[in-house]
Amino acid sequence: MIIVLLNLLLAATFVLVFALPGPRRRAYPRRVAVRFWHMWTGEWKDVVDRIAQRFNESQEKYELIALSVPGATADSKFLLAVAGGDPPDCMAQWNQVIPAWADKGVLVPLDTLMSTDEWKDFQATAYPVALKIGSYKGHLYGVTTGLNIWACYYRPDHLRAAGLDPDRFPADLDGLWAWGEKLTRTDAEGNLTRLGFLPAWYQMFVPVFGGSFYDEQTGAVAVEQTGAVTINTPANLRALTWLADKRAELGYKKVVRFISSLNTGGFSTEWPFISGQYSITVDGQWRVEQLAKYAPDLEYRTAPIPPPSGGKAHAGWSNGNFMIIPTGARQVAGAWEFIKFWSGLEQPERAAEFYTWGGWLPLSDKIAKAPEYRKYLAKFPQFKTFLDVLPSENIQVSPPVPYQVFLMDMISRADDFAMRGTKTPGQALEDLEREVAQEVAKRKRSGQ
Amino acid sequence: MRDNRIGYAFISPWLFGFLVFTAFPFIASIYLSFCRYDIISPPVWVGWANYEELLGNDPRFWKALWNTVSYACVALPLCIATAFALSLLLNLEVRGMSVYRTVFFLPYIIPTVATSVVFVWVLNPQIGLINGLLGKLGVHGPNWLNDTNWAMRSLILMSVWGVGGSVIIYLAGLKDIPISLYEAAVVDGAGAWQRTRHITFPMMTPVIFFNLIMGLIGAFQYFTQAFMMTNGGPEDSTLFYALYLFYRAWRYLDMGYASAMAWVLFVIVTVVTVIVFRTHSKWVHYGA
Amino acid sequence: MTENYLFRLSPRKRIVTQAILVVLAVPYVLPLVWMLSTSLKCDEQIFPREGSSISPVSLTNLLPHPVRWANYPDALKTVPFSVYLQNTLLLCALNVIAAVVSSAVVAYGFARIRFKGREPLFMLLLATMALPGQVTMIPNFALFMKLGWYGTFLPLIVPAFFGSPFFIFLMRQFFMSLPEELAEAARIEGAGEWDIFWRIVMPLSKPVLATCALFQFLGTWNDFFGPLLYLNDPSRYTLAYGLQEFMSSYGGKYAQLMAATTLFTLPIILLFFLAQKTFIQGIATTGTKG
Repeated sequence: MIIVLLNLLLAATFVLVFALPGPRRRAYPRRVAVRFWHMWTGEWKDVVDRIAQRFNESQEKYELIALSVPGATADSKFLLAVAGGDPPDCMAQWNQVIPAWADKGVLVPLDTLMSTDEWKDFQATAYPVALKIGSYKGHLYGVTTGLNIWACYYRPDHLRAAGLDPDRFPADLDGLWAWGEKLTRTDAEGNLTRLGFLPAWYQMFVPVFGGSFYDEQTGAVAVEQTGAVTINTPANLRALTWLADKRAELGYKKVVRFISSLNTGGFSTEWPFISGQYSITVDGQWRVEQLAKYAPDLEYRTAPIPPPSGGKAHAGWSNGNFMIIPTGARQVAGAWEFIKFWSGLEQPERAAEFYTWGGWLPLSDKIAKAPEYRKYLAKFPQFKTFLDVLPSENIQVSPPVPYQVFLMDMISRADDFAMRGTKTPGQALEDLEREVAQEVAKRKRSGQ
Repeated sequence: MRDNRIGYAFISPWLFGFLVFTAFPFIASIYLSFCRYDIISPPVWVGWANYEELLGNDPRFWKALWNTVSYACVALPLCIATAFALSLLLNLEVRGMSVYRTVFFLPYIIPTVATSVVFVWVLNPQIGLINGLLGKLGVHGPNWLNDTNWAMRSLILMSVWGVGGSVIIYLAGLKDIPISLYEAAVVDGAGAWQRTRHITFPMMTPVIFFNLIMGLIGAFQYFTQAFMMTNGGPEDSTLFYALYLFYRAWRYLDMGYASAMAWVLFVIVTVVTVIVFRTHSKWVHYGA
Repeated sequence: MTENYLFRLSPRKRIVTQAILVVLAVPYVLPLVWMLSTSLKCDEQIFPREGSSISPVSLTNLLPHPVRWANYPDALKTVPFSVYLQNTLLLCALNVIAAVVSSAVVAYGFARIRFKGREPLFMLLLATMALPGQVTMIPNFALFMKLGWYGTFLPLIVPAFFGSPFFIFLMRQFFMSLPEELAEAARIEGAGEWDIFWRIVMPLSKPVLATCALFQFLGTWNDFFGPLLYLNDPSRYTLAYGLQEFMSSYGGKYAQLMAATTLFTLPIILLFFLAQKTFIQGIATTGTKG
């Protein structure tokens, strides 16, 4: 019997391997292939495919092949591909890997691909955040094709039903919390059915409270000579304490339970804000595009995160989608053409349209002022909030250190411990500081 | 028939594979454990630094070790007892026995990836099956995989759910017990419980021993469920040794450190296995 | 098989046993039933909307209504199932053939040919079964990187050609239990060892070959760690790895996720029902001979 099954297996394999449609065939087999990796899935992947198609239609030399390499392992896969001698020609990254990877020597400095004038112009016109994230030790390693800014989304219908005036959005954080309390709903057993406002994500709120994980000037987390790490600063502690206190008021376990029943993937079309389970939430500007597509009739407004007293206005954490080219890429020129095409370094008016497809924030004013982008803003006034926050000095990025993945993991852990009430915020930050200092010392000892 | 050449010719595939994929890497990993190695650049010798760091300065290492050991100490006895008890039940003559055997065996053959996905859904605190059922009984279920105290317990429960394979092994072992022993016991007036205690159990100890050893080796390499379902969380409560090793190697690209971890694991597993083997004679019976 | 009169029960005990078995069987079956049921539900039935009471589990909710068959095609669209299936079948076929044949060859050497160092080498082979995989994992990875095999199927296929200790062990047991006379007769007629192996022993070994083939198929079907480590091009992903990626990328889409899981599991369940005896025999022998 088994031998029969084995034969069937072999036959099925041959049939399937040769008969069924396999992976996509090349659309322009005669052109030079440029391999591009990205991490978008779902409807965003479609946007990327459209941009790739436009690029292919705009010139005759290259065929851009876009590959969606999703999520959690994309970073290490990229590094391993470089190490294995077969990297893609370019990649769109939103994790802040540029410092670590540039340090390892796996990225091509993109300023060397520009002429002196182009480089000067770039430095003068690109938004500060774009330069902050994309540079390391004086060189540019990543060009953004879309910056991300976070702000508050709120639902006037919920507000009105609770007796709050949507035209008078709170000017400070405690005021926003008070609104949230009025909007939260629970059922008969005490389970949450709607969250008015859930302050979460430590790294977003640290800048809002005026804190920081790194030294603005040097970009360092640890002092060079002593290795001393200053994460446990008063402002950082205030931020974590505020978040932990609010979480305790809502009930740690209740919140965990409630969130587990929601569709909270960043890209999912089922956003709890749309389904009414969040009244006020902090999220990225790409949601504007999502709302336009999937809930065009929903009334919503946006506003920057109001600071607490002593905090900073128009603050928050930011990242972006950055295009990088690995060393060892075979088609550096082709990759660079694609990067210029998409980011708008070349023909910003044309590229402005791409930014609107994804609801991304532009690289520079040149794009923000282009007609396509202006049209988009006119159509979606809520988007303006994000554009206003974008040039702010109070926007921070992930610390540009080589051990960034480790650092951000540790910060997340400290956040988690504090949000569950297992550690006091002070304890969590102390431990965090110590762990990071240990890692820094360890790296120094092994010569890194 | 003695013929060295032919003999070695036949086993040459294994021999070659052993040298290339087992022996050489075995030695190489010792070397790597004394290096800093991120796979992109060549390894750099750092002496004992990795081990010092690991054993002296890394609380997550101890947490991972503790998690793995406590999992083994709880899950193994539980799984063995459950499987043994089930096998006794399934050895009886009741109608529909083949259906029951299928039911208990099925979870074992379903791929781990699939069961992980299913259980994440089943254990969803708000809208999952378990808490829904508990809710019907008026019990407010915990947050399971999202609760620091319950995540490990959830994984242990999952292991008990998958004991089907062991049940089959025990069933085969039960069939091997000579019926004459039971007949003699009945003649002596022994009841069912006494027969189980004095005949079944002792005669099954070799099989139990085998399952214990395999279970130990498996427990120390427990990875898939933790990786897929909890990512080591919440709060490191399910950070298993193999998972932490994986993160160190493939997330932080700290392969020298991970090699040191692998070696520490090897030493621990060897020591534990030797200890268990030493107890062998004390409780494992062969023959009558 | 022996007399079962000792295990026959009185009618009353039989009912009690049945009851116990049913009660125990429920938790074993329920998760799978839930998986199937969810795969056919609409999102409205899965996620409580604002205002509705949170009671996702009730007798009415256990069954999907309406039944949404479209979840299955949707899941297949979200994940390129056919590509993954092709890749998985390819890997399974190659691994099964390579592992079974190479293990048989090696097992024959250990079983039927006396050569110097046979016993110690076999002990060594047994010892490797107990070696934690983590020890050799990283250098093996580095080796494959050096060879330029990263991103290809090669690291997932080549090792199978060198015999699998577990299969070698099982097959050796089996070969040793075969009578010597046939081989002796062939040797007298001047047949070489290879001929004896291939023409006489192998055809007689169908049961153990079948068992090993089945186990290897299961192992490769289920393997997601190998692809996790070595594959980066999504067009090469396997079903197991694809499912893992599905969960990490679209974890909130429970209906589709359960549909994908059901599709992934169905062939295995089917295989089990078709080859039940081989399955059970194989697992039973591992325990009793161990």
